[in-house]
Amino acid sequence: MSELAERLAPESALAADDFSDLREAAQRALMQHGFPDLKTEAWKYTPIRLLEKREFQTEAASSSAAPELPFDAYVLHFDNGILDAAAVELPAGVKLEAATREDFEGVEYGGREDAFAWLNLARFGQAWKLRIEGELDKPLVLATTTADDFAAAVHPRLFIELADNARATLVELHAGGGEGMVNAVNDIRVGQGAALNHVMRRSGGDTVRVSRTGVAVVRDAEYRSFVLDTGARLGRQDLNVFLKEAGALGEIDGTVVLDSKQHVDYHTSIDHCTGHTNSREAFRLLADGTGVGVFNGRIHIHEDSDDSHSDLNTASLLLGEMARINAKPELEIYSEDVTASHGATIGQLDDDALFYLRSRGLPTEDANTLLKYGFAAEPLEGLAEAPVRDWLLAELQGQL
Amino acid sequence: MLKIKNLHVSIDDKEILKGLDLEIGSGELHAIMGPNGSGKSTLGYVLAGREGYEITEGSIEFEGKDLADMEPEERAAAGLFLAFQYPVEIPGVNNAYFLRSALNAQKKARGEEEVDSMTFLKTVRESLKQLKMDDTLLKRAVNEGFSGGEKKRNEIVQMAILQPKLAVLDETDSGLDIDALKLVAEGINRLRDPERSFMVITHYQRLLEHLTPDYVHVLSGGRIIESGGKELAERLEKEGYSYLQAEAAEA
Repeated sequence: MSELAERLAPESALAADDFSDLREAAQRALMQHGFPDLKTEAWKYTPIRLLEKREFQTEAASSSAAPELPFDAYVLHFDNGILDAAAVELPAGVKLEAATREDFEGVEYGGREDAFAWLNLARFGQAWKLRIEGELDKPLVLATTTADDFAAAVHPRLFIELADNARATLVELHAGGGEGMVNAVNDIRVGQGAALNHVMRRSGGDTVRVSRTGVAVVRDAEYRSFVLDTGARLGRQDLNVFLKEAGALGEIDGTVVLDSKQHVDYHTSIDHCTGHTNSREAFRLLADGTGVGVFNGRIHIHEDSDDSHSDLNTASLLLGEMARINAKPELEIYSEDVTASHGATIGQLDDDALFYLRSRGLPTEDANTLLKYGFAAEPLEGLAEAPVRDWLLAELQGQL
Repeated sequence: MLKIKNLHVSIDDKEILKGLDLEIGSGELHAIMGPNGSGKSTLGYVLAGREGYEITEGSIEFEGKDLADMEPEERAAAGLFLAFQYPVEIPGVNNAYFLRSALNAQKKARGEEEVDSMTFLKTVRESLKQLKMDDTLLKRAVNEGFSGGEKKRNEIVQMAILQPKLAVLDETDSGLDIDALKLVAEGINRLRDPERSFMVITHYQRLLEHLTPDYVHVLSGGRIIESGGKELAERLEKEGYSYLQAEAAEA
């Protein structure tokens, strides 16, 4: 394993800057803990052998095109993971600047289950801070695209802050090819009374995508995430939402659609750190061919968090005999006066429904597609931002 | 329109239909009555082409074509419609989208021009109104959260939109209150046409009071044991099925 660490985090080519000691400490932690293996609980269904096989290059790849979107938006384009800040035009309420030491205060990770976060901290090049004030009139798109000859390992780092009472829809988009790795860490703070729709759209390619997103939600703030992931050779998202103060709301809705040679793992958690907090999560996975989907959804209601309410639901469709899905809801509750419900189902397409549709004239393939769409679309239909929702649903339809 | 000859059908090697003969001509409405377990629903399903219903002997000819060789969607495109006894709930699939897709799939299979969404919506709203159903049903998922009566009426809406040549209604009257029963009967009567035929499968005579069946058949033990006019239904209502079974046993 330490060989992998050497390869993914070779002696730094990064110039000395304010963060040098942080990076060195992270490098030591990474070397000490090593990378997760199948004995690491949080990684037991997601082997990282693929990474061991790959040679990552340091040469720059061709530039990749920014995505074309059917809705009006502000776009930050991370070309092969790197943002050209000079090319960015943002509205008055949005400020983009280099992150400072202050932003890293309190950043701390655990053992080998957090190896990729340590790796990011040891090797991040750019670290940006994005601050949003007021009500954003258009979605803000953070588009990370990679070129077909992209073969580097990049470690973008982003801090996002919604000021008090701000409102925004943020679309995090990952697309493109190449045999590289994008290992991102995002820290989000939703300020008092603010509301964030956080859309994650990921698709295709041989790129390894590892991403860790931490979200702090404070008093009367609302965080809603909508995920549409249509597969990667290897993808892993850790999404950890912390409801820190009374009135905080956290919602996660996600759909993952996988086919052969794809392995995608979503590990989510919602922590009710205090009382009078609400959460809801609905996650659906569909796997065909030899696709492998992993979902772990954890709800953690801390001590002294009375009047917390949570509902977690996951449903999966196994469409191929060789496909695999591991879905697990987890509840940990340390307060008495709370409600928490959860459900998990795994099944196949319903024969009765299929026959019903065919008896009305729909050819088998169309009927299958319609059933899959119906199943997969549900988590995305709650997105209030109509143009983005319609785009996600169209993307889903195109995939099925 | 429909010619069924000496039809034997098995499910999991258990024979359910045991030599059924039936002919339905253009424009005719036939009622199929019979006790529980006589094979009524099996007849509906085998006509629509449900998997697992094996024809072991005999034949079904629809408009001159052998149904056994056709997939369910091909039968639908050829003009066959089954109103389900238990309409299936399909979460996440929008009612209007589903119905338009089905209609256009049928039209495409027949080489006809597809309908545009405006024309479609106009027609479907009209049908909903006639069946006293709310427009909002269009935006809801197919049959999801519908009451029993709404599901049955939704089958009639689908029939009105799809305009089949032969409609097989499998106990569409069960679970309906009197008002809904009338609406369903009106829905059927509106579609009566010299070119369109109906097979109405029912337990009870009450739906037939609102329809005018040309023939009434009694299905028992997997075959038709008696056929007659409307008066047969009335007699069954009075005397029950037992006398027929007794007669059949004597014969």
